[in-house]
Amino acid sequence: MEKIGKQVHLGFRRALRIAMQGIRIRFGRSLVTISGVVLGIAFLMSNLTGQIIQKAVASERDQRQTATLMLTMVQSEVGAIAGKPIAVIVNGKLSPVEEKLLLLLAPAKLQRDTAAGAALLLVLGDAREAPASLAALTAAMSQRVVLDAVRDRRYMPGAADVRREVFFGEELEQQEKELREKAIQQSFRTRWIIVVSLLVTVIGVSNALLMSVTERFREIGTMKCLGALSQFIRMLFLIESSVLGMAGSLIGTLIGGLLSFVVYGASYQFGLVMESMPFGLWIVSGLASVVAGTLLSVLAAIYPATFAARMVPASALRSTV
Amino acid sequence: MTQEQEALFAGEGSTEKAGFVIRAVDVRKVYRMGESETHALRGASLDVHRGEYLSIMGPSGSGKTTFFNMIGGLDKPTSGKVYIDQVDIAQLDPFELAWLRCRKVGYVFQTFNLIQVMTCLENVMLPMAFAGLDDEEAREKAIGILERVGLKERALHKPAEMSGGQQQRVAIARSLANSPDIILADEPTGNLDLKTGEEIINLFDRLRKELGVTIISATHDLKMLRASDRIVWIEDGRITRVSTPEEMNIAVSEVH
Repeated sequence: MEKIGKQVHLGFRRALRIAMQGIRIRFGRSLVTISGVVLGIAFLMSNLTGQIIQKAVASERDQRQTATLMLTMVQSEVGAIAGKPIAVIVNGKLSPVEEKLLLLLAPAKLQRDTAAGAALLLVLGDAREAPASLAALTAAMSQRVVLDAVRDRRYMPGAADVRREVFFGEELEQQEKELREKAIQQSFRTRWIIVVSLLVTVIGVSNALLMSVTERFREIGTMKCLGALSQFIRMLFLIESSVLGMAGSLIGTLIGGLLSFVVYGASYQFGLVMESMPFGLWIVSGLASVVAGTLLSVLAAIYPATFAARMVPASALRSTV
Repeated sequence: MTQEQEALFAGEGSTEKAGFVIRAVDVRKVYRMGESETHALRGASLDVHRGEYLSIMGPSGSGKTTFFNMIGGLDKPTSGKVYIDQVDIAQLDPFELAWLRCRKVGYVFQTFNLIQVMTCLENVMLPMAFAGLDDEEAREKAIGILERVGLKERALHKPAEMSGGQQQRVAIARSLANSPDIILADEPTGNLDLKTGEEIINLFDRLRKELGVTIISATHDLKMLRASDRIVWIEDGRITRVSTPEEMNIAVSEVH
């Protein structure tokens, strides 16, 4: 006579294999389960993409506008810029606007290290202090006009005698602030819609899985008769759901992201969108959507999986489902 | 053996009762549905000999299914004791019950209940996987068992590609996976025609002789009843009659 032992929980790999087999064979049912996730995540991703593009395009337009305004100021000092010698000092980090300004200034003769013969000196960058070399640089200038991008940048004594105009760094900040506030208001509404749609997704997946469990009553009971532990059954359904969820979120993310990109690209201009699009951020939000979809699918599977795991083995005997 | 384990076994007279693979002692089962109580079993006692071929009969609602589940370790009694291989199943936790179902009892169902997504071989290997056998060992053993039931060539077929009789033979092979002491068969010929039913009966008979397993089936199949050692009648939650097929006078002519 053998002693009674304790049944050991089968490993993850075995459960994964059985779950994958099940998904493959019951492909039609798996597609139904997946479709909810695909729709929900596609909606989420298209919203995220839309937000990213809208924000990027708006700030790109703004920057372009500001850069053009800066260019007008330069032009009001020196006239047409083509071929004019203009000296540039980069003092600290360049803002995107300043980079755009430099691009717009490309027709002029830009000189970095010397101001000799220059009609104008541009001080760019975000440092609080003006560069020490300023006095030396301006000494060689014929007109000694300096345009500075920062209003309250401190100048060394000796450089103070230059005629100094200031760009509108502050105005720029004000505009950015307004833009941010508008974005927050907008995103509050979209966030609410996204949350509701994801909830619907979870309920849909949960429902599809519950159907799947009731269809498999006899199979689950049989497995329990053969010695499967409740944990194993639960794991089986959780794995099935997470695999389906991940596949569905991947498909949904691709569909939602690309569709949204095409639609927004067509309604603005593709060139503008391509130039302003933060692709890194886009990819990160795509990954976040996949992770969110997978997690939500697992969340949706908790109740059906527990329901399946609680089934008594005797239900394998005569259920006629 | 620890004291605790000793308490699990049918202490009194356990040595002289060692020939019994299952003992049911005054088993009662009450189902409560809200206010009302249903007495499915009202004190059923039965000893099943090792290597015996036992049939259980009874009209629906007689408690036959409940009794059947009880002695198969699928359900626990409300009062009374069920010993499977001298172990009181009421004292087992879910892990021990799963262990018992996996190794001590093989189940055969009226509707075969093969896992449709798996091949025959994988179906037979599944209980071995639950028992912790590694794949290589399990595959070899499963092929051997399939050979025993005459289905070695069809090992890689899916259940849906096979006839009912073949599916039931695979299910029997699966029930043998972990060399159980007991095979519990619920109307095993219920979904089969007479000829295939007879094949299954012969297979059971052969397995019993070759492997010495105890076979318990709930059945109304006269051929099956005729092949059994004892027939147990359950009516109204009690065992009303235990007899041999000869005593019950089941003639072959009645089959047709």
